[in-house]
Amino acid sequence: MRRNPLPALAVAVAGLCILLPVALLAVWSVAGRWPWPELWPESFSLRGFQELFASYNHTGALLLSSVGLSLTAAALATLVGAMTARALAFHSFPGKELVRFGALFPILVPGTVLAMGLHTVFLRLGLADTLAGVVVVHVITALPYTVSILTDVTQACGKNLEEQAAVLGASPARAFLHGTLPALAPGLLSAGSMAFAISYSQYFTTLLLGGGQVRTLSLVMVPYIQSGDRTLASLYALLFVGSALAVFAVLEGLIHLWTGGRKWN
Amino acid sequence: MSIRFPRVLTAAALSAALLAGCGSAAADPTPEQTLPTDFDSLVELARGTTVTFYGWGGDDARNQFLQTTVADTLKEKYDITLEVVGMDIDAILAKLSGEKGAGQTTGTIDMIWINGENFYSCKENGLLYGPFTQDLPNFNAYVDQEDTETLTDFCYPIEGYEAPYAKAQLVLIRDSAATPEAPTSTEELLEFVQKYPGKVTYPAPPDFTGSAFVRNVVYDICGWEQFQDMEADKETLRAAVAPAMEYLRELNPYLWNGGETFPASSTQLTNLFADGEVLLDISYSPYSPAVNIEKGIYPDTAQAFLWDNGTIGNTNYIAIAYNAPNKAGAMVVINELLSPELQAAQYEAQKVLPVLDEEKLSAEEQALFDAVDIGEGTLPQDALLERRLPEMPAALVPLLEEIWTEEVVGQ
Amino acid sequence: MKRLAPLLLLLPFLALMGLLLWAMGCALVQSLGYIPAFGLTELTLDYYQALFTDGTLTASLMLSLKVAFLSALSSTVLGTALCAALLALRRGRRGALLLVRLPILVPHTVTALFLIVLLSQSGLVARALYAGGLIDGQEDFPSLLFSSGGMGMLLAYLWKEIPFVAYFVAALMGSVRDTLGEAACNLGASPVRAFFHITLPLSLPAIGSAFLIIFAYAFGSYEVPLLLGSTLPKALPVQAYLEYTHPDLRHRPYAMAMNGFILLVSLLLALVYAWLLRRKLNAGRVVQ
Repeated sequence: MRRNPLPALAVAVAGLCILLPVALLAVWSVAGRWPWPELWPESFSLRGFQELFASYNHTGALLLSSVGLSLTAAALATLVGAMTARALAFHSFPGKELVRFGALFPILVPGTVLAMGLHTVFLRLGLADTLAGVVVVHVITALPYTVSILTDVTQACGKNLEEQAAVLGASPARAFLHGTLPALAPGLLSAGSMAFAISYSQYFTTLLLGGGQVRTLSLVMVPYIQSGDRTLASLYALLFVGSALAVFAVLEGLIHLWTGGRKWN
Repeated sequence: MSIRFPRVLTAAALSAALLAGCGSAAADPTPEQTLPTDFDSLVELARGTTVTFYGWGGDDARNQFLQTTVADTLKEKYDITLEVVGMDIDAILAKLSGEKGAGQTTGTIDMIWINGENFYSCKENGLLYGPFTQDLPNFNAYVDQEDTETLTDFCYPIEGYEAPYAKAQLVLIRDSAATPEAPTSTEELLEFVQKYPGKVTYPAPPDFTGSAFVRNVVYDICGWEQFQDMEADKETLRAAVAPAMEYLRELNPYLWNGGETFPASSTQLTNLFADGEVLLDISYSPYSPAVNIEKGIYPDTAQAFLWDNGTIGNTNYIAIAYNAPNKAGAMVVINELLSPELQAAQYEAQKVLPVLDEEKLSAEEQALFDAVDIGEGTLPQDALLERRLPEMPAALVPLLEEIWTEEVVGQ
Repeated sequence: MKRLAPLLLLLPFLALMGLLLWAMGCALVQSLGYIPAFGLTELTLDYYQALFTDGTLTASLMLSLKVAFLSALSSTVLGTALCAALLALRRGRRGALLLVRLPILVPHTVTALFLIVLLSQSGLVARALYAGGLIDGQEDFPSLLFSSGGMGMLLAYLWKEIPFVAYFVAALMGSVRDTLGEAACNLGASPVRAFFHITLPLSLPAIGSAFLIIFAYAFGSYEVPLLLGSTLPKALPVQAYLEYTHPDLRHRPYAMAMNGFILLVSLLLALVYAWLLRRKLNAGRVVQ
């Protein structure tokens, strides 16, 4: 079989561009002073780790609750996205274009407008300063991504599997569960992890709508990044990225188990 | 096509509904919480409750101090649980004003770290609870009641709506190993930048520190007295600060990036200084050299200095939100933060100037402060307070920032 | 039942959109100067008008448009190429897909932070050049970041968004390639031909959405231009953000008017995109 070396090369270059700055973060997380023109830090310090693991910071609990919150939001955003995608892919109804277009709407709205407008609305609905309110706003911000990814994938998968199963006498539910759903799994996974990433990095919306009552890793991390303390900022960024990647790896493993490792199509 | 007309109607109806749906909820009668004025009753009310303290979360020394020393003291003495919430003052303003607009009477914020322009706009818009400081025993016993910084914040009357808890003052910082001279006036600064072109800059207003630096330049060139009672009129101010703007334009060609671009925040400037890209740092925390040398961010030879004609000082205050769920608890906590013990501990842990009047302290209490080792590279407290200038009226600050943007950047 | 099915499926989506529209309305009403809590009760278009009488605004708008367009265009092109390369990998595809997700997770503020560490005049690249004797000092290194041309912002968006596009498009492109692309190959088309004639055109909806998402994001976000942009002209969202955090709360309507304007431009662009997509789809149908 002919092998084109170009793709591997392109991915390697991209990987280097991605990893180099991240490696830099790792160095900074333990760096003390690093003045011009040194190529390597002049001194190292563990003060970042001391701060991170100081007992009053409850970093462990914070991680767990952040991951839990974002998983919930991601699951809901994926579910709503999948339902919307199914309606868009298999049904025709008036205003379909509007729905397709409307799904992108939350991305177009500047962050402050979204947060402040929803704050007013949530105050009236009694959702302000609650976990439920924060989940709702995270779902809204993640929707464009899940709807978009899942509409494409649902369309690509088609209804064939379900129809075949129906012809063979399976109930619609069974046909969906054993035919379409596994075929959709990779799409669900990528929509879900995208939604997780969006939710996990929400700052202003969580801050304003959670009113400080809902604590997430982002809420603790962003002020340190803004404070320009490169050691602490790098360390928090690493923790943030690392924990999210760990969640992805677990999710991916679970999906793999569920679909029995069979080929995706 | 046939549905186009009704759609317009729907839109109209919808926007009308929106105006109603976004305004305040049907005015629920504000249950005016009447608090007892004697402190012991307040303490009884506060026992076993939780108090939230909202403020900027990017300072690890502050977070640690509040969550360990302060939280432990409160738990022990009053059985109060302190919850420190990191939130920018901008977000606090957005949250409170949203709550006010919706007519909410019980929110989540008790105490707010606040000062200056933000205090002005919160108080003007009825977002604060008060007056309350007159009921705090420590405030009455230890704080100088006649001091301008007790009476006014950026020349705006406080009237008991916030209590001071730490003092800040603008300092400049150089690395004494890199530059033998410390420019202690605007004239010397001009010579300094000419000698080291491209190696000096200041954060662009409205960054808090950058804005204070520009005010300090204005004070040095135009004097500070005339601004204390100046009306908030942009053209009056423009005329008064013209020589200072002229001076800043003169600096431009010798600044970092030729004065085309300025760092967006003081933290960016601190990083430039730490990397040796610029030779001067500017800070509103007079003891920041000690903190940053200890953290290993600054070189050991970093040294703070002041201008001969003085630098601007201001005070950090704590206010209580208009819809605070636990006003009694907040008052007990604020009172405790003003105790000599916690003020001395704060001086030690956060390296910020205490707000208590030395003359009102007993010898033992004074000893608590004298025992604090303030660290490397800093100036003693008296040297700072001797050259301390008052802030400008809050309303002038944003106007001056606008004038700077119009007349200095890239000119 | 058959008619109700789409409605039932759409119900949660519509509920959330309803909330969003209500919220938008609340915020936009403020741009018309209606904030009773601060004593502003008169509806007016003055705040929008102020946008266009202010000279610095045009410069801000042009800068924002330029940076958003360039970021979206280059990220989409390079990201699609990266996606194709990823899918062409025989080994290590899963690891590589995990790798491209990394930048998606890194907050924009952190991206700005390490771009400064890398590319500022005292940054690592400048230090390496200095150590190699290629430059004589910090001053010789070009000031890439903070320039009024917006180079710093562009670099930050590229680092974040190229992998985003690759990841975002991968789901669709993967399934198209594995079914139709392979079929074409089996019928004798070269892989390159199959890619350009089958896989790429059929992946266009996802690529187009990615372009739109990036454009809207780069046009509307303030963090990157705040940290990497020049002092003047400021990007439009930075102006809006500064007005928004203005201590005088009566400045809110200015911020909201700017945001309203940002929204309007994004909406217009999205409409054009929707129209193009529809034409494309229709054209595709005719061909099929």
